[in-house]
Amino acid sequence: MKVGDRLNFLRGEIVSIVLFLIGIYGLIARKNILKSIISLGIMQSALILFFLSIRFDSSSHPPIAEGAGHSIMADPLPQTLMITTIVIGVAVTAVALTMFMTLYHSYGTTNWSKVVKKRGENQ
Amino acid sequence: MISLIWYILSPIFIGILLYIIKIKYYRIILIIFQIAFFRTSLSTFLKIKNTGQIREKIGNYVDGVGIALYADNIAIVLVMLTIFLFTIMFIVIYNKSHLNKLFIFLFLSLQGLINGVFLADDLFNIYILIEVSTIVISILIMFKKDKQSIYDGMTYLLTNVVAMSFFLFGVGYLYKIFGTLSLDLISKYINEVDPRALVLPYSFIITAVALKSAIMPLFSWLPRAHATSSAPSEVSAILSGLYVKTGIYLFIRINGVFGQVINVGMFFLVVGVLTAVIGIIITLSQTDLKLILAYSTVSQLGLILYSICIPARDNYYGSVYKIINHAIAKSTLFLCVGIIIYAYQTVDIKQIKGVFKKLPLTSIVIILAIVGVTGGPFFNGSISKYYILNGYKGSVYELIVIIINLGTILTFIKFSTIFFGSSEIEKVKLRFNRKISLIILGLTCLIGGIFGTEVLNYLFDAKLSVDYNSYVYKSIFYFINILIAYFIYKFTYNKISFISKLKSIELSFNEIVLSIVIFFGTILAYTNFVAI
Repeated sequence: MKVGDRLNFLRGEIVSIVLFLIGIYGLIARKNILKSIISLGIMQSALILFFLSIRFDSSSHPPIAEGAGHSIMADPLPQTLMITTIVIGVAVTAVALTMFMTLYHSYGTTNWSKVVKKRGENQ
Repeated sequence: MISLIWYILSPIFIGILLYIIKIKYYRIILIIFQIAFFRTSLSTFLKIKNTGQIREKIGNYVDGVGIALYADNIAIVLVMLTIFLFTIMFIVIYNKSHLNKLFIFLFLSLQGLINGVFLADDLFNIYILIEVSTIVISILIMFKKDKQSIYDGMTYLLTNVVAMSFFLFGVGYLYKIFGTLSLDLISKYINEVDPRALVLPYSFIITAVALKSAIMPLFSWLPRAHATSSAPSEVSAILSGLYVKTGIYLFIRINGVFGQVINVGMFFLVVGVLTAVIGIIITLSQTDLKLILAYSTVSQLGLILYSICIPARDNYYGSVYKIINHAIAKSTLFLCVGIIIYAYQTVDIKQIKGVFKKLPLTSIVIILAIVGVTGGPFFNGSISKYYILNGYKGSVYELIVIIINLGTILTFIKFSTIFFGSSEIEKVKLRFNRKISLIILGLTCLIGGIFGTEVLNYLFDAKLSVDYNSYVYKSIFYFINILIAYFIYKFTYNKISFISKLKSIELSFNEIVLSIVIFFGTILAYTNFVAI
């Protein structure tokens, strides 16, 4: 048995689910705001990988050239959807980081629970 | 009649145009646009009423490939409601200083995006529209760049983005199974799929929808975002009155599709009751005027969820009507509270006294809205409450609705303590445009009640009728309820000590994400159990 065969379970789907769980772990367990934003980024990448690999077939050909041999055409829809998701992801990350900068200027901390505490004092 | 896509695009285009082009009278153009827009939606509604639902394919691709829009009675009524409320909001802020071009652009875009959520027919578009509106709203929340609102806006953004990632994951699974994202096609072919395969995507999607509609463990983002004291009160009104309804609407749509194979009615029935009860208890513990309203939104959402779970005929229409009523009444309350806070310069309910003498018109409108929410006779709430109760007639469910309603009355008795007493502040004169819009909103509550059944039959082609004996009986019961609630408030409310401790309960961001995951686990286990 070759090494490559043993790694067959490492399909895109499995990897993306693992990445998604890593992202969730980061969101639950890390109190650093920056790490929360990074975890969101990881979840976004997991989603993109997931969409690209769900209907993947290694024998298919790209959807640009018609009728290349007898192979089936790869599904173009997930790819187009993912371009939109990437754009949205960039926008979300940018807005979140901008907000974080303003938050850091006014509270002087990167920790969720410290922000909550300081916020309580102000009220 | 215009193409449905313009309900999404035209506000955004107008927003961009007004932002780029330097026009002196941009506010007038804005109001004219809004009124024309409402008029257009009316003609689309009439067309749908006469010829039935519209399904529109953009780009004329085959089914399931391009973007599709879909409008039935409920969707177009909600679109009309959206445009109506936004028009009122624009009239209210007509001469305020924060109505600058950026605000107009964001607010108009939000209008288009909400319309889009109501009209979209495929899951990926719903994802995009909600995600973009999340960004827009989080900017609107912190529009005044206040220190507190930055935290609120940031938690709002991140929580909702996490929930929408769950949604997208579910959408991916559905695409894997069906090869299409159109809700219409999915509901056509759903019976040919093994229900067990749908458990995971359904749980993913419904978790996000549950967060959007702020049900039991997932509501803690809502009050902070809706009631942050520095957000403009018009934004709070739209968020708390209208925007949360997109979650409920999605719940109806998604369960309409999946309900054929996965029946989670019982689960959401229980969750709805819990949401309503916990919402009421936390509302009672608050002292911040805006927070009281925001938490009462949570309890009302619980009630709406509770009453759409069992789709008997009467209570279904009752709860759809409640969605509209609550949107109007809650927006009115938020607007009025904005005026009160501006006049008194505080949000603390204990320091605000004698509102009735100082702000008579505002107080009358508040009373109209409160009677509307609690379901007093001749007001819109009474009609929706009547049908909800009618649907559950003679079962234990009816009793639960009565108890929840008693709790709602109790919270508003607490709220109405601001009317009495005397205060030192100067009398505030309202501007003409504010008066007009408040009066319109207040009268809508009344008209929606007096002609309630007729309105309901006209809007949704339902064939409902009110039995006058039982309506009179329920009206008398309402006054008894008020008396009971008054005595509870007067004599036992202050003696319950744990209520004041609840006030400071607030989940941090990590805990909110944890609760999302726990909710997801629970719903996964439950759907796995009920899927045939």
